Amino acid sequence: MSRANVRRLALPLLVFVGLLLVWEAAVPALRIQPIILPPPSGVATAIVETAGPIAFHARHTLVTTLIGFGAAVGLGLLLGFAIGASVTVNDALYPLLVGFNSIPKAAVVPLLVMWFGIGAVPAVLTAFLLAFFPVAVNVAVGLATLESELRDVLRALGASRWQIFRKVGVPRTMPLFFASLKVAVSSAFVGSVISETVASNAGIGYLMAVAASDFNTRLAFGGLFVLAAMGVLLYGVFAIVERRVTGWAYAE
Amino acid sequence: MSLRDVGFEYVTSDRRVIRALEGVSIDIPRGTTVAFVGPSGCGKSTLLKLIAGLLTTTRGSVVVDGRAVVGPLKHVGMAFQNPVLLPWRTVLDNLLLPLEIMRENGDPRTPNRVAGRDRALALLRTVGLDGAEHRQPRELSGGMRQRVSLCRALIHEPALLLLDEPFAALDAFTREEMWELHQALGLDRAFTGVLVTHDLREAVFLAETIYVMATDPGRIAHVHPVTFPVPRTLGELYGPAGTELIRQMRDEIRPRREASA
Ligand SMILES: Nc1ncnc2c1ncn2[C@@H]1O[C@H](COP(=O)(O)OP(=O)(O)OP(=O)(O)O)[C@@H](O)[C@H]1O
Ligand SMILES: [Mg+2]
Repeated sequence: MSRANVRRLALPLLVFVGLLLVWEAAVPALRIQPIILPPPSGVATAIVETAGPIAFHARHTLVTTLIGFGAAVGLGLLLGFAIGASVTVNDALYPLLVGFNSIPKAAVVPLLVMWFGIGAVPAVLTAFLLAFFPVAVNVAVGLATLESELRDVLRALGASRWQIFRKVGVPRTMPLFFASLKVAVSSAFVGSVISETVASNAGIGYLMAVAASDFNTRLAFGGLFVLAAMGVLLYGVFAIVERRVTGWAYAE
Repeated sequence: MSLRDVGFEYVTSDRRVIRALEGVSIDIPRGTTVAFVGPSGCGKSTLLKLIAGLLTTTRGSVVVDGRAVVGPLKHVGMAFQNPVLLPWRTVLDNLLLPLEIMRENGDPRTPNRVAGRDRALALLRTVGLDGAEHRQPRELSGGMRQRVSLCRALIHEPALLLLDEPFAALDAFTREEMWELHQALGLDRAFTGVLVTHDLREAVFLAETIYVMATDPGRIAHVHPVTFPVPRTLGELYGPAGTELIRQMRDEIRPRREASA
């Protein structure tokens, strides 16, 4: 690992540990009730004690997130290609898409529960609804911003629209597509946790909701930390994938 | 190639009609190079697109090789001020893109892979980029990219080469080098060249005939045959005859600009 990378990891880690220490010291010093705000050591104990259930619920959240995310990537790609390739489709769908995206998705959860009941299905669907927009928009932008000169060069060679799409449109959209994945996976994660919190019987969101209703503050915080770790991990994985796959878009 | 009373109108998004070109009638003999110069907005790029069949005339007709142009011609080389290389492909793979398209379309003129590769390497050698075939476009200077773009326009040995201010973004010295390079390429290959440029010296150096255009509506205002023998030298260009021709064309373009300003 290079010095720059060590620095990039070590500095935020140092600050994080520092904050935990301040927190640890502040709880007794300010005489805060652990039931209101447990110290980090208490949260850690709760995580270790409940490791089994936490692992189960974390896996559940991960699976619903990834299913919703996968579906969102598929539909986002299709929709993005359609919007980017055709001005008519763009004019027809883009405003609708923007309008749809401005609905707070949490408001849709009760409807999903009404249709599909409590469980994993609303979580998957909420994840999907949150995640497909960034994918679709990025793919569409990538296609629509094709330089007109390049299009002219290719058309003057007898290239069909389909050839231009394949040889130029798709590859030049890839950096934007992969950039959208890390945003989309985070959105999917938010979506499934929101849904789990109000309408599920599994998942970290559910675990936290139950812990909170039992006034098990330590476990609720434990869930929060697990969520944070999962969120960072998911984002990180796709950020790395992005760098690997589309290096040419960043080297300059 | 001949253009007969060619007119073109754009309809803008707010439904205004822009008369970009009107009454353009010219003949371009095979194997010669002509240049279009004129003030910005006089329809030079539009004319180029009409010749390539990328736009369809709203009046008159464009005839290439005895046939009226109705859709995009299929075997034309084009290069623009912006080299638009594909950043995810190496220089060589950028050059081979036109051949890939021809191969997919079953064009009988497509060379086989080995021959195509040889052709690309030979072109790179001609433009002084030997050894650069495996580099990425982003690793090249602006002038080098422009040379690659020119090679891409020639790789399929088009009978028609259309250039829209291809050297405008280059510094003066690189530009002169490119003129000489372009002349050398033209002597090797017998293509018909259409050059759009803002640079009057460039037009004098490269073209057999120069069309000076005027604006509102876009039209041909003056025609100047350039009589220096080919190959030309920069010395001739900057000599008295070249300078006089450039001065004359500048006067033809400038009063119009001042009147409209
Ligand atoms: N896509 C378009 N839609 C509407 N009007 C256009 C379009 N393209 C060009 N025009 C108009 O047509 C006229 C000629 O444009 P053109 O691009 O051919 O000029 P040009 O001579 O190439 O100019 P320049 O030297 O600045 O490149 C201009 O008035 C321009 O505003
Ligand atoms: Mg132009």
